[in-house]
Amino acid sequence: MADGRERLRLIRRIGEVVPLLPVVAFVAAFAIVPAALLLGNGFAGDGGLPGLLRLADDPLNVQAVQNSLSQGGVSALAATAVGLPAGAFLGRYSFRGRSELLAVLIVPFLLPPLAVVLGVETLFGAGGIVSSLLPATGTFGSGFGGIIATNVLYNAPVVALLTAVGVESASPALEETVATLGRGPFASFRDAWGRSALLGAAAGAVLTFLFSALAFAAPLLLCGANCYTVEARVWSLDQVFLNPAAAAALALLLVLLLALPAALYLTLVARLRAARRTRERPPRPVPWGQPLLWPLAAAAVGLALGVVGLLGAVLDAALRPSPSGGGVFSGFSALFGPSVTARLGVSTWTATGNSIFFAGVATSLALLFAVATGFGLAARPGAARALRALVFAPLVVSPVVLSFALSQFWRPVFGGSTTVGVLILLAQATLAIPFALPAVEVALRRLPRSLRESAETLGATPWSAYLDVELPLVRDGLVTAGLFAFALSFGEFTATYFLATPTFTTLPVELYRLEGLRLPAVAAAAAGLLVVVSLVAFVVIVRGGRRVEF
Amino acid sequence: MSSSECLTVRGLGAAWGATPVLVGIDLDVAASEFVVLMGPNGSGKTTLLRCLVGLEPLTAGTVSVLGRPLARVPTHRRGIGMLFQEPALFPHRTVWENVAYGLGVGHRPRAEIDRRVDEMLGLLRLRSLADRGPDALSGGERQRVALARTLAPQPPLVLLDEPFASVDAEIRRDLRSQFRRALSATGTAALHVTHDREEGLLLADRVILLSAGRIVQSGRPAEVFRAPRTADAARFLGYNVLDREGAEWAVAARDIELVPPGTGTLEGTVALAGFGENGDIVEVELSDGSRVEGRLRPNLPRPNGGARIGVRWTKAVRLPAPTSPSSDGNASGAR
Repeated sequence: MADGRERLRLIRRIGEVVPLLPVVAFVAAFAIVPAALLLGNGFAGDGGLPGLLRLADDPLNVQAVQNSLSQGGVSALAATAVGLPAGAFLGRYSFRGRSELLAVLIVPFLLPPLAVVLGVETLFGAGGIVSSLLPATGTFGSGFGGIIATNVLYNAPVVALLTAVGVESASPALEETVATLGRGPFASFRDAWGRSALLGAAAGAVLTFLFSALAFAAPLLLCGANCYTVEARVWSLDQVFLNPAAAAALALLLVLLLALPAALYLTLVARLRAARRTRERPPRPVPWGQPLLWPLAAAAVGLALGVVGLLGAVLDAALRPSPSGGGVFSGFSALFGPSVTARLGVSTWTATGNSIFFAGVATSLALLFAVATGFGLAARPGAARALRALVFAPLVVSPVVLSFALSQFWRPVFGGSTTVGVLILLAQATLAIPFALPAVEVALRRLPRSLRESAETLGATPWSAYLDVELPLVRDGLVTAGLFAFALSFGEFTATYFLATPTFTTLPVELYRLEGLRLPAVAAAAAGLLVVVSLVAFVVIVRGGRRVEF
Repeated sequence: MSSSECLTVRGLGAAWGATPVLVGIDLDVAASEFVVLMGPNGSGKTTLLRCLVGLEPLTAGTVSVLGRPLARVPTHRRGIGMLFQEPALFPHRTVWENVAYGLGVGHRPRAEIDRRVDEMLGLLRLRSLADRGPDALSGGERQRVALARTLAPQPPLVLLDEPFASVDAEIRRDLRSQFRRALSATGTAALHVTHDREEGLLLADRVILLSAGRIVQSGRPAEVFRAPRTADAARFLGYNVLDREGAEWAVAARDIELVPPGTGTLEGTVALAGFGENGDIVEVELSDGSRVEGRLRPNLPRPNGGARIGVRWTKAVRLPAPTSPSSDGNASGAR
């Protein structure tokens, strides 16, 4: 009889683990193994540890490491300075338009980095909208200041959202207890809600550091080689200096540098999610009489204005009539015209079609994995953390290193003319998965376990209980995951740029090449197109009060 | 196992990690019988139900339904219905669709599904709500839908895990009678879990008392109530347990008399005194630290906290001497 029990338990465990295998196999085959081989070759090919240490002989490598650390550190501090108070306000208080404001904060994250760079240039660059009125802000139009402004506009909303999640996770009973014991707002912050708010902010800060230290587009467009991060330097060594061995060695250093912050981020997010299992604290009306509140409100308003300003700047640039004449759509006309096709060797229609195709297939893959893993993770929450670390690894490996590794490992295997397309697809799917999975997983975890158990006691198999009962209830999570994955893939630039040939050019790559050709009005139209796609994703996410999960 | 046995459990054990939660559980439920499993919070009642339906693993023992061993049978093939504390209705399905769910996944013919759902909706007076979603129902209606859904596939046995815990007293009374009637009408055996002793004693054909993961007593409600066999059982049934003359005695609150100091069998200090439906209730702390609860005689004024008071009783049940867990195999069985 004991054998029967063990067998049943084993069958159940296998049934729960099997759905996790496809995503594990996918990420392992198309990210972990190629990257490990690349990094291993980088280590061995460059003479092991002495070779790694020799990287320090090249001052450009040292500068790249310094740039990654300084840009990452300063960006994280600045984004937290804005995002923490804004998130505290948004998480604690209810007011008209709160859900819309929370939703609008995700828009920059959905934007391609190139569009954000263009928006920063339009706001703070020479003759920019803001720098014309306040010349001192011109320092944010290019160079180090421009990179920090880009990183902050990109990431401060994420810090605010994670802080708001932390605030909402705080125990309402604890806060009420502190209040009924006669303690003031500071004690309430210290003993009731501050810890979880800081946990969310810390997760946001570390994520900002990671994304900023890995920034590619901003250093490339706003500053040049002097500001290259390690990521950009790896790209440059492989693609410009044609030295893949040195690039691989530097890639290994990049991964080593970022492993610790990545592990820290995953730990913080896991703690934040554990806190969210408790009853969420409902926001309360804003007590405007408290002066301490005003800086928080100001930060939230400032952040919202920054995001709206950024979007407005990109759209303004896209719709600005060309100095050489033409209407508001002259940039768009030129973008889809024969002249651009001739200069780039590919039409914008083709690039847009490629973007839609790649993003569509990558999104479908990410959603399939999210649905399959959702079943396994709902049954085995202990596996969730390990899986999250695995799917997050490609982000730490960085898009450039990922595409570099994919190219080295899989190009000879696939062969043929469509290899580049397949590699772009794989890279985009790999980078979308870490954002698609949590949306479904978190939504599933909020469902009462008794729903699935009821279905099973009524005769449904675990899979049919999942498909019939749980999945329809996390439809919003699936929609959010799909839109988020689509918008990220549609705007993905770094990995795609590394791999793309003219046949497989995407819209973000075309935008970068248009910038290089000094066609600002046409580039602005391309950026406007990318913003519109992100805005559509945003609008659909907002409808129904959906939230993006990290 | 007799031919009328619906559920048979022998030597069932379960644990949370290394901590045993259920130990050596033996119990039987006959066809159409309504058995109530009672016990204090944390005694293992819900875990036992979850083990029976296959949602928690056993560490020992066997479970069979209608003579069919369930050790290798997953939850969805056990054919045991279960009603959870929360109704767990599928929010994206109407009442009709919820009730039809178990029949649908069982691939029953469409005509049979229609007929059976209609029958269940009629039995639980839900026909007028058939097209509503769960959000448009009251708490009591939701529990009725949940029962209809559980009974629709005609399981031989349903497990009810405190299904009335989340509704108020008036609706609870209504639900109790409707549930009992529906189960009788369908001839379904039931194992009902509650920590409300009045509810348990009222509903049960037979009660089983569970304490610290072991069955301490079972029998017909009146028998169990009149003759508790252990101190834990007596306390759960509302008795005061007094240690006197080397034995334990169960004394009902109604049999305790509180008298002026110096006139009782025992003396103590008033810990709490307040209004009771059948006379003021006084909780007295005895000199050994134990407490007894009794009703004040009508002619006595309500004493203040800390006052000395005498205690005596008109009737007491002597509890059998405790036996060690290893030697009470029969005592922990429940038939």
